[in-house]
Amino acid sequence: MNDTKKKIKKRLRNLQSLPTLPPIVAKLTKLIGDENATAPQIAALIEKDQVLTGKVLKMVNSAFYGFPRRISTVSNAIVLLGFNVIRTLIITASIFETMQSNDLSLWEHSLGVAAASGILAQRLELQNPEEVTTAGLLHDLGKVVIRSEFPELYQKIIALVREKKIYFLEAEREVLGLDHGEIGRLLANQWNLPDRLLEPIAYHHHLEKARKFKKEASIVHFADIMTRAEGYGSGGDPWVPPLAEKAWKLLKLKEKDLEEIIPVFEDRLLELRFFTLEMRNESLKGNTRSG
Amino acid sequence: MKASREILVLVDKELEKRWAPALKKGAYKISFKNDPRRTAEEILSSPPGLLVLQESLDPPLIFDLVKALKNNLNLAILPIILVIKEDIERDWFALPVDDFLFEDSSGEEISSRINLAFARAHRSADNNPLTGLPGNTTILKAIQENINHQEKVAIAYVDLDHFKPFNDRYGFARGDEILRMLARILSNVILFRFGPRGFVGHIGGDDFVFICPLENIEEACQEIIRDFESLLPSFLDPEDWKRGYFEEKDRSGQRRRFSFPSLSIAVVPLFPGRFKHYGEVSAVAAQVKKMAKKMPGNSYFIDRRENPYSPETKN
Repeated sequence: MNDTKKKIKKRLRNLQSLPTLPPIVAKLTKLIGDENATAPQIAALIEKDQVLTGKVLKMVNSAFYGFPRRISTVSNAIVLLGFNVIRTLIITASIFETMQSNDLSLWEHSLGVAAASGILAQRLELQNPEEVTTAGLLHDLGKVVIRSEFPELYQKIIALVREKKIYFLEAEREVLGLDHGEIGRLLANQWNLPDRLLEPIAYHHHLEKARKFKKEASIVHFADIMTRAEGYGSGGDPWVPPLAEKAWKLLKLKEKDLEEIIPVFEDRLLELRFFTLEMRNESLKGNTRSG
Repeated sequence: MKASREILVLVDKELEKRWAPALKKGAYKISFKNDPRRTAEEILSSPPGLLVLQESLDPPLIFDLVKALKNNLNLAILPIILVIKEDIERDWFALPVDDFLFEDSSGEEISSRINLAFARAHRSADNNPLTGLPGNTTILKAIQENINHQEKVAIAYVDLDHFKPFNDRYGFARGDEILRMLARILSNVILFRFGPRGFVGHIGGDDFVFICPLENIEEACQEIIRDFESLLPSFLDPEDWKRGYFEEKDRSGQRRRFSFPSLSIAVVPLFPGRFKHYGEVSAVAAQVKKMAKKMPGNSYFIDRRENPYSPETKN
């Protein structure tokens, strides 16, 4: 194992908190203070931030609650943790680490992939589309870690992508010795996340490695490419990477399916664009106020 | 939810300096923290065996934290000692801590209070070790109190039916998980909605009890069933869930189908004058349970006999 790899593993073990989006935390704090707020409303808003979602799932799957590696959706986590715990979690959520405005494109990318994953899962009649949506939302957690914990290496990766005209994933391997999928896997393991989330996070670029949740991993891969093709947010590459042959074969999607799915996805993106634009503006306001 | 012998002391630097020498002499593992916001999440995901909280660090957050731990996690086994300034006026019903101390107390005093808190927690350990919910003594007491005070409440007996095939298929560890899951649903629905007017207890095995205001019983049952339905698939293997039932070979090699676990809730309304003693409630409950179990899937059955609150009379 090279030194960088060792360093990353060590840092993951001591990971304190990852950046969240202040306007979302502010909205949530307001919602949670409202007596009429319902669990689904709160869940829907938490699911707009991959780090908050990760926090909630990490907590509900921790050994203390007694069902490790079981819970894969925010709404189920709220049922089990209860309002009081969620409230405290949000109030104390990362006022320490807040997302910089240049992180926003990765955040948008994650929301896009979550939406596309849900649409695909529904179309393919998977048992629990909500779960696949969550996997889509969390799929690039590894990138969030690189960006916030190793900003210099992150810059190096970006520079390498530009210089050598290689894919982000390849640049990660060159600079770090491992890619964001592997980092995501380590993190998901440490957080006790269920395999149905871990496999898509770890293997959305390596479908052949998925064991129990091949379909879910393939859907997230497919959703990743769909979101990039729509030009919503950014996964770090200037070009759209190719779609893995294996995903096509596994999902057995027909041209006709895509013809029907894409307009649905575009409608969903339109809604998302409104939301992310609002959050972008809010967070710019926040930055000028504090800076 | 196991109790550990670890003590987490969340106080400012000054108190830490004053108390640390005496506390470190004790037999417990002590860790000091100074920042409530950073520590809250840690406490909630892995609670220590005992908590000492300095209120003045961040009063609203400390209040939230105490409530989250006590009302919601049903951690009666986790003693909390609140450290307060000289102002002693508090609504201790709203702030369910086990003891309090002043900020100017000596290290010896806090050390002794901690030992006392552990001893007390040990004495009142009627709680079910698996779920942390109160056990039979407390349940009977709660029912009798409601009878004595002539409250209009519903006593609901919750059974997890078809628990055995689930246990046989996945092993007892996952059986424990599903019991804990049900315990959390009951606590969160009943205690969050009704606060001190609600009660949840664990009789043992797959039997639970809850108490809530009579006028809210139907919505409570429906919410519990909805939550249970939404969570059950996470505790099943994907192939079983897809099939819709368990399939096992019996002794003669025949394939047999078994249902997934389901809830049956038998409700005995309590209204003034109906019962004098909790024994009468259990007798009626036994009959109502039979009715509830006859209904397939997740179901609740409310005993409407002599019940002035039945929907029939309302409509």
